[in-house]
Amino acid sequence: MIIVDEVYKRYRCDHGIGKWVLQGVSFTIPPKVNVGLVGRNGAGKSTLLGLIGGIDTPTRGRVERRCRVSWPMGFGGGLQGSLTGRQNAKFVCRIHGHEEDLPDRLRYIEDFAELGDSFDEPIKTYSSGMKSRLQFALSLAFDFDVYISDEITSTGDAAFKKKAAAAFKTLTDRAGLIMVSHGEGILKEFCTAGIWLHEGRAYWFDSINDALNEYKKCPSR
Amino acid sequence: MRTSSLIAWSVWKALFLREAVARLSARRAAWVWILAEPVMHLVLLNVLFGFILQQVVSSIDHGLFITTGVLGFFLAQNAAMRPKDAISANATLLTYRQVLPVDTVLVRAALEAVLFMVSALFLFTGLGLLGHQVFPHDFLQVMLAFAALWLAGIGLGLTLSVASQLIPEMGKVAGMVFRPLYFVSGVMYPASAIPPAYQSWFLLNPFAHGIETVRTGFFPQYHTIPGVNIGYLLGFAMFTICLGLALHVRFATRLVAQ
Repeated sequence: MIIVDEVYKRYRCDHGIGKWVLQGVSFTIPPKVNVGLVGRNGAGKSTLLGLIGGIDTPTRGRVERRCRVSWPMGFGGGLQGSLTGRQNAKFVCRIHGHEEDLPDRLRYIEDFAELGDSFDEPIKTYSSGMKSRLQFALSLAFDFDVYISDEITSTGDAAFKKKAAAAFKTLTDRAGLIMVSHGEGILKEFCTAGIWLHEGRAYWFDSINDALNEYKKCPSR
Repeated sequence: MRTSSLIAWSVWKALFLREAVARLSARRAAWVWILAEPVMHLVLLNVLFGFILQQVVSSIDHGLFITTGVLGFFLAQNAAMRPKDAISANATLLTYRQVLPVDTVLVRAALEAVLFMVSALFLFTGLGLLGHQVFPHDFLQVMLAFAALWLAGIGLGLTLSVASQLIPEMGKVAGMVFRPLYFVSGVMYPASAIPPAYQSWFLLNPFAHGIETVRTGFFPQYHTIPGVNIGYLLGFAMFTICLGLALHVRFATRLVAQ
């Protein structure tokens, strides 16, 4: 279960304090519920994922995680460019306390990512599709109760997308998922509930279809 | 559920290995340079100052004299300057909430200590094979002085790592300040060569106390000046470490937030 209680967030810009991104966001995500996050560009979707994932703290309010939550998987974050895919994978295994079964996890990551020889090349030589393959494999190598995905399923080629979708499907039997995507199909496929972020506030819908409808109804200024 | 200390420990281990790999594979044969750089520095200083030192400290092996000074100063400098940039260098790893900014700083300082021990062992073995008397007469005092220099470096590194994240110019200023420190810390001259009128100025610099203490521990016949006190350096280390940790706690959210 994840409880988000009256969360306010604003960033510090180069010229003082920025404007509010989130203004009093509250909701509770029950266990094993898959939630899709929709909203316009800049509505605060990634910000909210960062707060749920615990890599940033709210300006006001609190976020409570009563389960194991993954880090937000998204564009190239969490990978060190100068190190190889394998070295990055080892690092992530170690900080999650998997020193003993490191070889098993590594084999799983290597098999799932299907990067071939590039697994031993520096990350900076990777394409964005290769990066998201690796990130996806990394997050699947650990047993989280909730996985946070920031547009990660929208990258990668057709074959990998299919594989990722299958992996996500099996995940949803035992874990929850919070995902941001602009692909309506993906959201409908994986998510049951939805959160619509609009003008700093969050609206909870028990059905993702309702959230998408509301999001589309809203005129973009 | 893992305890906080267990998480911190596994993060430190993982970061340490990551940093070590990055340092040792940064350039082609990077580990050769880690060993060769101090050697070349020492050879150069010996050529430049060896002759003068022969007159000033005639009773002491001047090769070892310079070695102790250079090692001591570089230990403190590396323990301060490398960790200073640790947070920005590891920014991508802060994506994992297990990794805190202070972890990256402490781990870099620890890596510097290990690299120092390797290069010191290499240098002293080399000098020993060349026929120098490399065994210090008071081993514990030498260790204490090196440890104090390292701790003072960590304290500065912790403080500067936060300061340079909040005010980017601070990092540059710190680098500029460290360069002249090299000349006023007694790396290539004994403290007793300073005119008595200026000795009190010399003793304001905490690193000078550390380097002089290394030398009195190393050479039984070395005469330092009155007022040299390793406690001064240790106090400085304690103060900067507390200040640095406090800054890390105070600005914890600012360091992580973009």
